[in-house]
Amino acid sequence: MISRASLLLLLAVTLSALPAAAQQGVSDTELVIGGSNSFSGPLAFTGDQITKFGVDLYVRVINDAGGIHGRKIRTVYYDDGYRPQDAVANTKKLVEQDKVFAIIIPQGSPPVVATLDYLEENKVPLLFPYQSSPVTRGKRYVLQGMTLSDRSSKMMIDYLAGQRKIKKFAALYQDDEYGKSFLTAFEKDLARFGLKLVGAESVKRGVMDVSAQVAKLQAAKPEVTFLVLVPGPGAQALKERQKIGWTDTLMVSTGPLTDERYLALAGDAAEGVEGLSLWPDPVTSDLPGVKLYREHMQRYFPKNEPNRYSIAGYFAGMLFAEGAKRAGRALTRESLLAALESFKGFESGILPPITVGPDHETQKQGFWVRVEKGRFKQLTDWLKSE
Amino acid sequence: MTGQALVHVVVSGLATGSIYALMAISLVIIYNATRTLNFAQGEMLMISTFVGWTAWQVLHAPLVVALAVAVVAAALLGFVLERVVIRHAISATHFDVLIITLGLSLMLRSAAGVTWTHDEFPFPSFFSNRPLVAGPIRVAPISLGIIGASLALMVALGALFRWTRLGRAMRAVAQNQRAARLMGISVERVYSSSWIIASVVGAVAGVLIAPVIFLSSKMGLVAINGFTAAVLGGFGSMPGAVVGGMLLGVLENLAPLYLPASIKHSVPFLVMITILIVRPGGLLGRVARRKV
Amino acid sequence: MRHAALATVAAVVVGWPWAAPRYFVFLASLIAINAIVAIGLNLLSGYTNQLSFGHAGFLAIGAYAAAILTIRAPALPVPATLLLAGLVTAAVGLALGVPCLRLEGLYLAMATLAFGFVVVEAILNLEWLTRGNDGLRVPAARIGPWILATDTARYYLVVAVAALLIVAAVNLSRTKTGRALLAVRESEIAAQASGVNLAAYKTLAFVVSAFYTGVAGGLFALVVGFLSPDSFDVFLSVDFVAMIIVGGLGSILGSVVGAAVITALNDSLAGFQNYRPLIFGAILVTSMLFMPGGIASALRKIPGAGARPPR
Repeated sequence: MISRASLLLLLAVTLSALPAAAQQGVSDTELVIGGSNSFSGPLAFTGDQITKFGVDLYVRVINDAGGIHGRKIRTVYYDDGYRPQDAVANTKKLVEQDKVFAIIIPQGSPPVVATLDYLEENKVPLLFPYQSSPVTRGKRYVLQGMTLSDRSSKMMIDYLAGQRKIKKFAALYQDDEYGKSFLTAFEKDLARFGLKLVGAESVKRGVMDVSAQVAKLQAAKPEVTFLVLVPGPGAQALKERQKIGWTDTLMVSTGPLTDERYLALAGDAAEGVEGLSLWPDPVTSDLPGVKLYREHMQRYFPKNEPNRYSIAGYFAGMLFAEGAKRAGRALTRESLLAALESFKGFESGILPPITVGPDHETQKQGFWVRVEKGRFKQLTDWLKSE
Repeated sequence: MTGQALVHVVVSGLATGSIYALMAISLVIIYNATRTLNFAQGEMLMISTFVGWTAWQVLHAPLVVALAVAVVAAALLGFVLERVVIRHAISATHFDVLIITLGLSLMLRSAAGVTWTHDEFPFPSFFSNRPLVAGPIRVAPISLGIIGASLALMVALGALFRWTRLGRAMRAVAQNQRAARLMGISVERVYSSSWIIASVVGAVAGVLIAPVIFLSSKMGLVAINGFTAAVLGGFGSMPGAVVGGMLLGVLENLAPLYLPASIKHSVPFLVMITILIVRPGGLLGRVARRKV
Repeated sequence: MRHAALATVAAVVVGWPWAAPRYFVFLASLIAINAIVAIGLNLLSGYTNQLSFGHAGFLAIGAYAAAILTIRAPALPVPATLLLAGLVTAAVGLALGVPCLRLEGLYLAMATLAFGFVVVEAILNLEWLTRGNDGLRVPAARIGPWILATDTARYYLVVAVAALLIVAAVNLSRTKTGRALLAVRESEIAAQASGVNLAAYKTLAFVVSAFYTGVAGGLFALVVGFLSPDSFDVFLSVDFVAMIIVGGLGSILGSVVGAAVITALNDSLAGFQNYRPLIFGAILVTSMLFMPGGIASALRKIPGAGARPPR
């Protein structure tokens, strides 16, 4: 007589022996992730660094240590040259042909936003896009990467207007989504203090000469001038300022601009410039995670200099790997999301402890720096943007 | 807007304009001799400047060595490209050659990215960035230096075309290829020479402007402005290239100074379209009257 | 022989979504869209020798017009949206073509290049309409009760419109108008001497070219689903010029083949990342060196194959 218990046991054993529904991008031996990125066009250097020397650096470390639950990570990247329609095509190819498990660190607001609807509809996780516009908020399958512009702005304005009591602000901003999102955020945050921008001049990417814009801003006599640019035009603006001897304004760089590249380009014209730094100094910081990053870079890509782009990619790889690890061997997109959402005080050794809330934002902080003798000197602790 | 600031902005515009003029001149030199529009002109400039920079870094030599190496690299590049690629296509239509030069520009830019990465690098200048103040006038030496060096080069080119045999041969080929050949001029030599000279002019422009816009694989995009300048001034005319370049540079700088943000970026193009509608041959050009 | 070839092509085109994976259906839509632009551009540059480096501008106008109509007038059926997009673009083409009648060769090329830039600036300025830098999400199109929500549905729409426009172009090339346009390309002076009203035909070429590109723009908006000023830069215009030259100037088949080759090539090279422009450029150089006159003229050399250009 077969007891009900043994029947149930038989049923349970049979069911567990059935193959689980195959999760795309996850096989017995490998885990496939990828993304569309800029390998040509205006942001090609950044694209290269965040992927091949960023995510892939961390992936090498993980794979050499045995992978995640016995699976090696494989990455696939396609070039979109910063063109939204190419990003859409590449992303479709990655999801439908290459069958990636998740999209990781695509770059630029236009290419990323172009793919948002498709990825949400197809329930594909979009992990840590390398862009700062808040337009990617509010999507179930998106985990934010870089500190978004409205948070950056809040920290910067609270510090400058709130703590240092500065009243007159101006902005030199790039004529694209990055520049525009910061400009909008600045105006909103200044309004909280009853202030307005006294001047705002736009600059086109790839511009040859910024003398007119800088001259106009000088005429407005701001105490602080925000630079919402990329390293090239940012350095041009600083050299222009030096050329006209405009000393009575403090130039402040936004998060994406605060990096060693514009320092190298601007040379001594960058002395005294302040800004919000999103990362510890990748070359000199002795935080344990940053030191490890440098060791790994030295081991796998000795000819590549450590920089903030590759550390951002490395960090993205780290978060993904941790999420996949926590999700366990039976990895699905849903379990990955749940795992990432479960981060509470995660210690990366690079940034302050990460807690991911329902806002899905993984980076919400920055600290103040000033350029002294060609390097960023930390002036404050990590600022809060809540 | 103070007068001092205005003078500075205009002088800065003339400096950028000088570079546009040099780019326009190199495009026109090749076009006049071979009836080809060289899409790769900017990328050739970029590669030459990179080579000069690499030599300067490796040899720890004075800056003038960078210039010399860039010029030699440019001459070599111009010669090789013309001989190996363009010469073989010369029987094809000029549209075909256009695509060939387009392909070359893509290849050169990508090759630069692979060799030096797509990063941007600071480039040393012969001139200082600190302002010179003389009474009400304040200018940056670097702007004056660029204008001066460009003008010197233009004068040298003018002399080349006027007083040397090669120059006269090039002008003859530009006017009428068949007649020039009948007169015993080696048209092939003129082709090579035009590519070499144009390339060298580009290298000088590159070394002058790299301190301002930084050395990178996308530096070559300045050639688009060169094309605009050449058309504005009257394509085919040397003085036209100079006038067009200077005018474009100053316009690009004055527009953001006085015009609202919404149209300031379009102004150079709108002005150019207007000038072309009124004078279809550009400012100093003549519309060729074709004999039936 | 000709009919057999056409029937095969038709069968492949209609059956494609059943045979090919979903991504390649999407890619085929992109190819068809680019083919429409190429035919339009060829009409201008291949027939009347007016080289245009601004067709990305026309594409943008058509795309944004269609997108805005789809958003603000969702009851409008897709064919009407596309037609309107084409007409708006044609109107702009007229506004550009007439003042540019006196321009030729490089001057016209420059004027069109400038036009391309100005269009993108205008899109940025009309932020209230186009959402400027934020970009514009394009909702799915509808034909009657059906919503074109899948790649396959959109593919059939694109291919149907493309077929229509190709047939129209072929017919145009066979009429008196087509012959007149071709005569203009061969020699403006001879054409004039034969009684061809040069100004009228050059303007017509501009307008029809803009119309085609505008319709393609509308399809682009629906297939890609998102528009941004970054989509329509000068390099896109140059890509279109490459398509008609590689395909073969003055040939409709050449335009279609050129569009297919360039689009497919660009797509297949995306995985080469940094090396993509290097390889693509090398292919451009070698193909023009070995196939002067483009693919169409190379095809013509094979006896019995390919379409002859309207001569």
